[in-house]
Amino acid sequence: MHLIDVQTGLLANNDAAAAENREMLRRRGIYAVNVMSAPGAGKTSLLERLLPLLAARWRVAVIEGDIVGSADAERLAKLGLPVVQINTGNACHLDARMVHHAVHDVVHGPSDVLVFENVGNLVCPAEFDLGEDDAVMLLSVTEGHDKPKKYPLMFRRAGLLVVNKMDLLPMTDFSVGEAVSAARDVHPGLDVVRASCRTGEGIAEVAAWLERRIAVKRGAAASDAPPPASSSAEKG
Amino acid sequence: MHEAGIAQHLIEIAAQHLQRVPHGPVRRLNVRIGELAGVNPDSLDFAFECFAKGTELEGARLEVERVPLTVDCGACGGRTAVVDYVFRCGACGAEATRVATGRELEFVSMDTDEPSEEGVRAPD
Repeated sequence: MHLIDVQTGLLANNDAAAAENREMLRRRGIYAVNVMSAPGAGKTSLLERLLPLLAARWRVAVIEGDIVGSADAERLAKLGLPVVQINTGNACHLDARMVHHAVHDVVHGPSDVLVFENVGNLVCPAEFDLGEDDAVMLLSVTEGHDKPKKYPLMFRRAGLLVVNKMDLLPMTDFSVGEAVSAARDVHPGLDVVRASCRTGEGIAEVAAWLERRIAVKRGAAASDAPPPASSSAEKG
Repeated sequence: MHEAGIAQHLIEIAAQHLQRVPHGPVRRLNVRIGELAGVNPDSLDFAFECFAKGTELEGARLEVERVPLTVDCGACGGRTAVVDYVFRCGACGAEATRVATGRELEFVSMDTDEPSEEGVRAPD
């Protein structure tokens, strides 16, 4: 037998593309967040509520990932923000190469914040870095509180867990306590916001969390970052 | 799932390496997959078999080494095997840990027949 040494990461090509995306975004001081969840957990609904809050202060662009179609992009375009639709075809997640051109366009346009809405899936997107600063994941109460131990990598990746559809809680056997406890077994110290995109519960908290993260990023890139969209809208 | 894309990438990497060195028929590809990696070894094996057809990897076996999930403690430095995805130091109970092993998704090596074996048959 003859041994050929390979020693290559099987995601090395994605990781390299993600590093390029991250560097492009860093140079322009653009904060990027990757929003992930199972299908139907409420990613688009959350963004419909959340983005107007962020857009009051920042120039927000969205890269929308779906296997087929543009229904979600059309919903978000109604907010008056630039939305780039990426159809992944048969792929169950966005990857760093797929979004590369769209990220390139965003960094050459007037943007402060970039939101990736990933394909609905709790497995694959967790494995593929896009070059984002943070990952936010949604878990809706109709999915069951056992999910953190079933999809641990996703809960490890997330910086913020949004427990969504809180308005439906009385109709389910979902235990928020058990879900949060399991999520914090997997990811100690994980930030959690309880939310409902129907009632508006928690949306301001999610926006505040992102504002803090944007401030950290812009603080780090203060010298070369472009000015915010409206300097008169400084937050008090 | 995304095992199909990873299997295709595995075959691309293998082809690049095989181009560079003289070799006989490829018998085995050795990969390491961590417990926390979002890849199912059986799906990867199935996808590999499909995509390897008609390439020089056809008939080669995919040997998967599973790597258990462990964390290193940020406080006491001890290593803990993670059970039931509870990420906590088993020695001092600290929550500040980092994954030591279990995230691997690596193509380690290939076993081929000796390149000098002239006229060696392709694997059945």
